[in-house]
Amino acid sequence: MAATSQDAAPQPTPILIEKRFPLELSQTIMTIRDLYDASKQARWDPNADIPWSDLDVSGLSAEVRRAAALTWSRRSWVEYTGLPETPALLIRFCLEIRREADPKYFLAVRNTEEAWHVEVCHSIAEAFGGYVDAPSNDSYAALFNQAYSKQALGADTFLDGYVAAHCALEDGLELELWRGYLDNATDPVVKRALQLCVEDKERHAAFGWFYVEKRAAQWSESDRATVAGALARHLGEVEFKGYHCAWMAPDNAAAEIVAAEKITTAAGLGALTPEAEATIVTNYLTLARIKFAALGVDMPDVPVPAA
Amino acid sequence: MSAQPAVLLEPTILDHGENRFPLDLGVRIPRIRNLFHSATKNQWDPKTDIDWHLLDLSKYTDEQLMSAREYWSRRAWAEYGAISESPALQIRFCQERLEPDLQLFFAIRSQEEARHAEACYLMAEHLGGFVEQPFVVDYQASVATHGIRRMALDPNFSLEAIIVALVCGAEEIAFDVFRHLTEITTDPVALQVVKAVMRDEVRHCAFGWYFMAHRIKSLTPDEIKVIENALIIMIEKVEMNGYHSAWLAPDNPASNAEVNADRLTWEAGLGATVEELEKPVFVATVQRIRRQVEPWGVVLPVFEHAKIGAF
Repeated sequence: MAATSQDAAPQPTPILIEKRFPLELSQTIMTIRDLYDASKQARWDPNADIPWSDLDVSGLSAEVRRAAALTWSRRSWVEYTGLPETPALLIRFCLEIRREADPKYFLAVRNTEEAWHVEVCHSIAEAFGGYVDAPSNDSYAALFNQAYSKQALGADTFLDGYVAAHCALEDGLELELWRGYLDNATDPVVKRALQLCVEDKERHAAFGWFYVEKRAAQWSESDRATVAGALARHLGEVEFKGYHCAWMAPDNAAAEIVAAEKITTAAGLGALTPEAEATIVTNYLTLARIKFAALGVDMPDVPVPAA
Repeated sequence: MSAQPAVLLEPTILDHGENRFPLDLGVRIPRIRNLFHSATKNQWDPKTDIDWHLLDLSKYTDEQLMSAREYWSRRAWAEYGAISESPALQIRFCQERLEPDLQLFFAIRSQEEARHAEACYLMAEHLGGFVEQPFVVDYQASVATHGIRRMALDPNFSLEAIIVALVCGAEEIAFDVFRHLTEITTDPVALQVVKAVMRDEVRHCAFGWYFMAHRIKSLTPDEIKVIENALIIMIEKVEMNGYHSAWLAPDNPASNAEVNADRLTWEAGLGATVEELEKPVFVATVQRIRRQVEPWGVVLPVFEHAKIGAF
C-alpha cells in the first residue's frame, strides 16, 4: 500500500544530551531529601501488609461486585500513569545540567510506590470479580493517552512547569480524592489498602509543592506564564475531561463508570459520589490557587464542571 | 548569555504518543513478578541499615582514605548511570505494552539503583568526601555512559539486545565483582555496603535471564545475531574499556591514577580490588556468559585485551 501523508513519520521528540560531570549527589533540598528518607522508612509490602484473606465478597450482590471491580479497574488505569511517567521525569532531571540530586532519589522511590498502587488496585478489582482492561467508551479511553513520558522528556517542555502541573497540582488533587475514598470506606481491607496508598501519596504531593517552592524564586515572568499555561492546560484538557473524576467526562462518556462508583460508594468500598468529589475539587483548587499566587503564578480560574 | 543546551533530535519510541488500552496488569511472567515481590520484601535503607559508626578512619593513612574516596565516588558514578539511563527501559516496556511484570519489577529496580548510588556516595562522604568528577578529564569517557538510554528509546534497537547486553553482560560482570569484593574486603562498613548491594544485584541479573528464557523461542536467527552483536559491543567496548574496572581502561595517566587509587583502597581492605585478583574473576564471568548464551545460538568470540591476552 502506498504511503499517505498520514503515514509520515512524526516529529522526533527533542531530548537533552546529558553532561554527567560534575555529578552532584549532595543534599541541597532538605525537604525533599527528608521525603526520600521517609519513603525508605515507610516501606511496605502489599502482599504482607494488606489482609487480603479477610476480603469477603460473598455477602455482596453481583451488582455491587461488578461495580467495585469497575471502580477499582479505573483506578488501576489512573495509577498506571506513573509507571512510564516517573522514569521519564527521573531521566529528565538527570539530563538537565546541575539539577538537584534530591528529586532524582525521590522519584526513584516514588516509582516503586506507584508500582505497588497499581498492583493493589488491580488485586482489589480482581477480588471483586475481575479487572476490566479498558473503558468501554473509546473517547473516554483516549483521555488516558496523555503521553506524559514524551512531555516530561521533551526538551521543549519547561521542566518546572511540568512539575507544577503534574507533581504539585495533579498529585495534590489526587491525594485529596484518595483521602475522600479512605474516609468513605467501611470495608476493613479496602480501608487498609487506601490508608497505605494515601500515606505514599502525601509524600508525592509534598514533593511537587516543595520543588516548585524551591524553584519559584528563580522563575522569570515568562517562566511564570509558562507554568500558569501548564496548569490551565492540565485542568481544562485532562482533569475536567474526567481523568480523576469520571463524571466530568463530556457527553456522558464515562456513564457506566459513574454509575459503578455510586454503587461502590454506597457499599463503603472506597469511592465518592460526584457531589462529594466536586466539593473536594473546588476546595482543593481554591487552596492551590492561593499557593501558586504566593509563588507569583496566576493559576487560571477554570470553572469546575457541575456535578 | 547562557549557551543553549545540546539536544538530540532522533526518532524515539515516544514520537508516536501513547496507546494505553487494553491495559494488561495480570501475571504473565511469574518468575519476574516474584522478583518484584522479593524486591519489595527485601528493601533496605543505606542511611540506617549500614552501621556507619563502625567506620574507624584512624586505622587508615591519609593516602588510603583519599584513594578510597576516589574509588567509592567512581562506584557512585557508575551506579548513577543506572538512575540516569536504565529507567528508559521501563518507558520502553510501557510504551510497547509488554508484560506488566517487567514494568513493575523495573520500577523497584530503579529504586535499588538509587540506593546503591546513595550507599556509594555515603561511603565516599564518610571517608572524607564524595568526588564530583574524575580528577583527569580523559577518564570521563570511560565512565560517562554505557549508552543504554539512547538504545532503549530507539524504536529500531532490539529490546532483547539491550537486555542481554546490559543485564546478562554488564550486570553479570558487576555482580561477580561484588561477590569477589565480599571475599576480600576487610573493613566492616565497606563489607556491609558491598554485601547489601550484591543481594539486590542477584535479582537484577536473574531478571535478564528470566526475560530471555521467556523471549528466546520467538526470536529469528537474524534477531539473535543482533543480540550477539550487542553483547559483544558491551563486553568489548564498554566493560573492556574500563566502565566498571579502571585497570581495563586504555593505558593513560587518567586510568593509571584510578588504578593506583584502587590498589591503595584494596590494601586498606576498603572495598576495591586490583588487576591481579579481578582478572580471573572477569575472565571467568565472560566465559560463563559465553556458555550461558551459547544455547540461544549466540556465539561470543575470543576477546583480546592488552592486560589479559586472549580469553
